[in-house]
Amino acid sequence: MTLQSRRRAKNLVALAFATAASAFGLFWLAVILWTLLYNGVTGLSPVLVTEATPPPGSGAGGLGNAILGSLLMNGLAILVATPLGILAGTWLAEYARHSKFGEVVRFLNDILLSAPSIIVGLFVYELMVVPMHHFSGWAGAVALAIIAIPVIVRTTQDMLMLVPSSLREAAAALGAPRWRVITSVAYRAALSGILTGVLLALARVSGETAPLLFTALNNQFWSSDMNAPMGNLPVVIFQFALSPYDDWQQLAWNGALLITVAILLTNIAARMLAAGKKSSRG
Amino acid sequence: MSLALDKSLRSAAARSQSSSLMDRIFSALVLGSTAIVLLSLLGVFVALAVGAWPALQKFGFGFLVTEVWNPVTAQFGAVAPIFGTLVTSLVAMLIGVPISIGIAIFMTELCPDRLRRPLGIAIELLAGIPSIIYGIWGLFVLAPFMQQHVQPLLIDTLGELPIIGNLFQGPPYGIGILTAGLVLGIMVLPFITAVARDVFLTVPAMVRESAYGIGATTWEVVWRVVIPYCKVGLLGGVMLGLGRALGETMAVTFVIGNAHRISSSILAPGTTISASIANEFTEATTDIYTSSLVALGLILFFITFVVLSISRMMLRRLR
Amino acid sequence: MESKSMQRPAAEAAEVEKIQIKDLRFYYEDYEALKGVTLTLHDKRVTAFIGPSGCGKSTLLRVLNRIYALYPRQHATGEVLLDGRNLLSKDIHVDSLRAQVGMVFQKPTPFPMSIYDNIAFGIRLHERVPGSEMDDRVESALRRAALWDEVKDKLKASGLSLSGGQQQRLCIARAIAIKPSVLLLDEPASALDPISTAKIEELIAELASDFCIAIVTHNLQQAARCSDYVAFMYLGELIEFGPTERIFSNPGHPKTVEYVTGRFG
Repeated sequence: MTLQSRRRAKNLVALAFATAASAFGLFWLAVILWTLLYNGVTGLSPVLVTEATPPPGSGAGGLGNAILGSLLMNGLAILVATPLGILAGTWLAEYARHSKFGEVVRFLNDILLSAPSIIVGLFVYELMVVPMHHFSGWAGAVALAIIAIPVIVRTTQDMLMLVPSSLREAAAALGAPRWRVITSVAYRAALSGILTGVLLALARVSGETAPLLFTALNNQFWSSDMNAPMGNLPVVIFQFALSPYDDWQQLAWNGALLITVAILLTNIAARMLAAGKKSSRG
Repeated sequence: MSLALDKSLRSAAARSQSSSLMDRIFSALVLGSTAIVLLSLLGVFVALAVGAWPALQKFGFGFLVTEVWNPVTAQFGAVAPIFGTLVTSLVAMLIGVPISIGIAIFMTELCPDRLRRPLGIAIELLAGIPSIIYGIWGLFVLAPFMQQHVQPLLIDTLGELPIIGNLFQGPPYGIGILTAGLVLGIMVLPFITAVARDVFLTVPAMVRESAYGIGATTWEVVWRVVIPYCKVGLLGGVMLGLGRALGETMAVTFVIGNAHRISSSILAPGTTISASIANEFTEATTDIYTSSLVALGLILFFITFVVLSISRMMLRRLR
Repeated sequence: MESKSMQRPAAEAAEVEKIQIKDLRFYYEDYEALKGVTLTLHDKRVTAFIGPSGCGKSTLLRVLNRIYALYPRQHATGEVLLDGRNLLSKDIHVDSLRAQVGMVFQKPTPFPMSIYDNIAFGIRLHERVPGSEMDDRVESALRRAALWDEVKDKLKASGLSLSGGQQQRLCIARAIAIKPSVLLLDEPASALDPISTAKIEELIAELASDFCIAIVTHNLQQAARCSDYVAFMYLGELIEFGPTERIFSNPGHPKTVEYVTGRFG
């Protein structure tokens, strides 16, 4: 083989591999979504939302209590994480942009962003469950909030950094004090980006299982008492999927489909929000 | 005129006093929130250290070198889960890294413009699927497939080879180290791909074009110019994926088999740190059992902290 | 020069000193960007700052409302007296100072809010104004900036929806709505097309009857057209200052000669 044809052959092989790799990635996405649909659609009915988790083998019941618990804890977590995350992101972008200490905080936040979520579960267990002597919805919500905060901090910071400094100068030149410059002008300019971050954080915590295992635990009955163990979709999926009972496994698939659809929709909404902003800015 | 100005400056001074008070309140607010974020990281470390203390005190350094994990005799050692964590992550990297880089190359160098965005979105969706979905899918779909098709094939072929064959011994369980590693490999794909694509795009068009300009093939441009140009960022992306794989819990817990032992075969069941904690924490009946599990968590925190720190340092110049 | 048509006869009003700059030095960290500038700006007159890029003309402007104070590593020494009060002194509150000294930037900076709110935002910072009076204030500011007719039917539209020239006039309206006595214009037309530029210049001539205006420009024709005084700066120093006509027709310093005849810059 001549040098040229060898080079061309090598190129062809490598590019074929790259193409195959992409097909491989898409293949898994398709397989996973297909399996979810195939197994999860069976037995979908309104009962899923209205009934609580059943005892094994009863052949009835739904996931209503788990859905309620997940909504409560996710909602509370986002409610707590949003102001804290936005304010901390504000500090990083507006007050500590060039400071060494800010650099350190940014670094630690990034670590927290990808830290294993089960570690957060252990932390909240030691922090709340041990002193309170019982598992609780509060503990679950706090664990989820700790996971959501770094996501919101990071996006808020990034979005505020994108606000041109000329806009801040223009507001300051009107005699606006710093807090007004930030709240009235910088936040407004970064609004859709910050909201995207909040949605991404919501999507992230909605699927988290590990941090709930020993904070909220689970509850097979209807309960909105945040001070007691609380049912939630991920842990129910976990327990039911690993159980030997067919009807529980079926419910696990139904739950898995629900949660995935909800998360993917949230993700898509977040992306549309971000893209909408880009196009409106020209 | 001067009187009016003086008056307006005076009333302005009164207003500005309240505005500087608000300034102080607001900056205290943002600083306080930042402190809470910092404290939560510090708190994780302190809480884990406190919780792990009884076990570390009882077993000392031995905790790190003992394989025994026996709740009945209250003997606990971390070797098996640490081993399982490292091996599953290694398998995940062996699968995930080349494929991620392949996808990134396809996306930046080969892909028609029309496909680029949908492909990017698909990869991001893959990143958005929660880990428990990977777990349930791994258990019900991948594991049976591995048991019936892949593992028998591996045992009959690679398993016959000297030395390397030791990795592929024993009955095909379906679940085990290899399956867990495979699920992890698929899970980290989108994370590494996203970073790899971003770092590839940092290569100035001029550098790329001048390589094409002297007649290099696409592969030569990627291999000789693009990858060397951004190898630090690329490595940062790989470390980020590794950090994910090391700490991933649910996807692994479903398919690892939860066996506290070290096997030479990657087809055998095993355990990882996070799977041990997830499986056993609520069943741990004695304080020393709980404490040993928290100690495992502390080790995991330490490992991932180091890996993620390296990753962030490598990725820092990207921004 | 044609510019004379826009200037008011000098006899119209006596020259009143508005801002006195004395030995002003400015530092970006260790770099000295202004090396002892002394200069007086007159009320109801337009003073243009010209000079090659990096000469310190924008820096000087940014001292006059202390906008540089946003950045911790920049500081100024010397004296800048506004109506006799040193605005560099510590007891001056910058927010009220900036209400007295308005500024318009190189690129239009409309806030991401409605046209109406862009104007009202600044007013609300400094005064409590009831709704109906606010409408009047917004309208008169927009009229003053020659923008009212173009936007009166879409006051609720986003400020970002306007064209570049309209955005810049919105920024001028926003600045004058809070009734400053000094207006700082930092190359206000450099990002605009010729027609929008002409409108801005016309507007500057209009506003000169009410404000002390300082304008930085890299466009010599613009300086000649719309200023009463010109300050030529070079490498952080004030080389020459005088009535516009004299600087252009009979410059005193060799550097000024070179610059106004277009031999460098």
